[in-house]
Amino acid sequence: MDYNQTFANEVYEKVDSGAEIKVCMQCGVCGATCPLRGEMKYGPRQIWSLIRAGRRDEVLNNPDIMLCTSCYACKVRCPRGVPIIDVMHGLAHYALSQGIVPRAETAKFGKAFWEGIYDTGRVDESVVPIKYCLQDGLVAGLKKSLGMLDIGLALMKAKRMKPKMFIPPNIFIPGVHKIKGVKQLQRMLDKAAAIDAAKEA
Amino acid sequence: MDYFLYYGCSLEGGGVHYMISTEAVAKGLGIDFHEIEDWNCCGASIAYIGGNEMQSIVLNARNLALAEAQGGYDIVAPCSSCYIMLNKVNHELQTNPKLLDQVNEILAEGGLKYSGKIRARHLLDLLYNDVGVEKIKAAVKKPLTGVKVAAYYGCQTTRPFGEYDSCENPHTQDDILAALGAEVVDFGQRVKCCGSGIFLTEIDKCAYLVKDIIESAAAGGAQIISTACPMCQMNLEIYQQRVNAITGASLNMPVVFVTQLMALAFGGDKDSAAALNRLVVPAGPALQAVGA
Repeated sequence: MDYNQTFANEVYEKVDSGAEIKVCMQCGVCGATCPLRGEMKYGPRQIWSLIRAGRRDEVLNNPDIMLCTSCYACKVRCPRGVPIIDVMHGLAHYALSQGIVPRAETAKFGKAFWEGIYDTGRVDESVVPIKYCLQDGLVAGLKKSLGMLDIGLALMKAKRMKPKMFIPPNIFIPGVHKIKGVKQLQRMLDKAAAIDAAKEA
Repeated sequence: MDYFLYYGCSLEGGGVHYMISTEAVAKGLGIDFHEIEDWNCCGASIAYIGGNEMQSIVLNARNLALAEAQGGYDIVAPCSSCYIMLNKVNHELQTNPKLLDQVNEILAEGGLKYSGKIRARHLLDLLYNDVGVEKIKAAVKKPLTGVKVAAYYGCQTTRPFGEYDSCENPHTQDDILAALGAEVVDFGQRVKCCGSGIFLTEIDKCAYLVKDIIESAAAGGAQIISTACPMCQMNLEIYQQRVNAITGASLNMPVVFVTQLMALAFGGDKDSAAALNRLVVPAGPALQAVGA
C-alpha cells in the first residue's frame, strides 16, 4: 500500500480533533469496544489506517464515520488516550461540510436538532421530529411522520409529547419558547463557527 | 443543600417523569434546586452534525458562565448527555487556559465570562455522595421489598472520566436501589450503550442493542429496569414493539427512572410524585408487591 500524507495532513489540520490520531498504535481496542462495530465495514482503527494511507474518498464517504452512538467506551479504553469519539464526530462534520453525506437519516435528524438549538436556544422534542421528516418534502415527510404515529400517540397518551408534533402547520407557529439571550447565543455560535478550538494546551 | 438543576431539553419533553420524580425526591431529601436562568441546550451527542467542536464548547461554556454569574452552585444534570457535555467541556476549560481565553472572547458577545469555578455533576453523584445511602434509607417509608430491579447505567452516565463511579463496573445506582429495599439483580449489559441519539435514525442496527440489554436484565431475574438517563429510558421503553418486530424478540419490560422508584419508596403518590402514569410500558405489575 502506498502511503500518501496529503490526506492525513488535511485531517490533522482541518478535522476537529483530527491530529489526535497521530498517537494511535493500531491496537484495535476501539473496535473491540464499539457497540456497533458489527454493523460497520471498518472500525475506528481501520479508518485511521485509511487516513494514513491517503484514501480520502473511501474515508469521507464511509457510512461508518457517522455510526457513532457517542457512548465514550472507546475513549475510556484507548490505551493511547485518543478521544476516538471526538475524531469520529470531527470526521463526520468535515464530510458534511464538504457536501458528503455519510448517513442520510442521521444527517437530517442532526440538522433539525441543530436548527432547534440555533433558532431558539433549546431543542423542542415535539418539533425536531417534524423538521426531520419534512426535509423529505411535504408528501414524503407526512408519510414518514405517519410511520412514527404509533410512537407519537403512545407518548401523547403518557403526556410526554405535546400533540403539535403531528399537526404539520403548527410547526411554523413558534410554539417553542426562545431563550431570552438567543441573539447573543447566535452571535457566539457564529463567531465559534470560524474558529478551531485550541485543544492542545 | 443548594444546587443548580440543569433540566435540559428532555426533562421538558419525553423525560417529564424524570423531572416530576426528581423534584419529589429533592423535596424528600431537603435538596434545594435552582434553575440556571436562560440556560441553553447542551448540544447533546449529535450537535457535531450541525456545529463544529468550538460551537459545542461554547454552548456548554455559556451555561457554565451563567451558573458562575448566578451564584456558583454545582450544576447537577439528571440527563447523562447533558452531564457529559457540561463536564467534558468544563474539564477542557479548567485545564486549558488557551482554550478558556478563546472561549471567553466568544462569550463576551453575550457579556459573559467563565473563570472555571463551577462543578458539573450527574444526579447520581449528588444522591450517592452528597446525600448518601444512609440518608436515603432513612427517608424510605414504603420499602420496595420484593421488587426485582436491574440498575442500568448505559454509556454516558459514568463516562468518560469515571469521577464519581467506575466507568466499567459502576455501583452507585445499585446501592441507592438497595437502600430503597429493592432486590437488585446482576446482569451483563449494565454499561452497554442503548444507541443513544442515533437510535431513531439507525433503528435497524440499534434495535439489537436494546434487545440484548433488556433480555440480559430479564435473564438476571429483573421485573423492571431502572435508569438515570432520559435517552436510555426512552430508547429502552417506547420502542419495544418495534424492537420486537425487527429482532423477533418479545420484550415487555417496564423501564423507569431511579428517581421514580425513590419517590415511590419515600411514600410519594404513584402518579403525582413517582409519575408512573407517564410510562408507556406500565410498571404496575412489576411493582405489585408494593401496591403501586
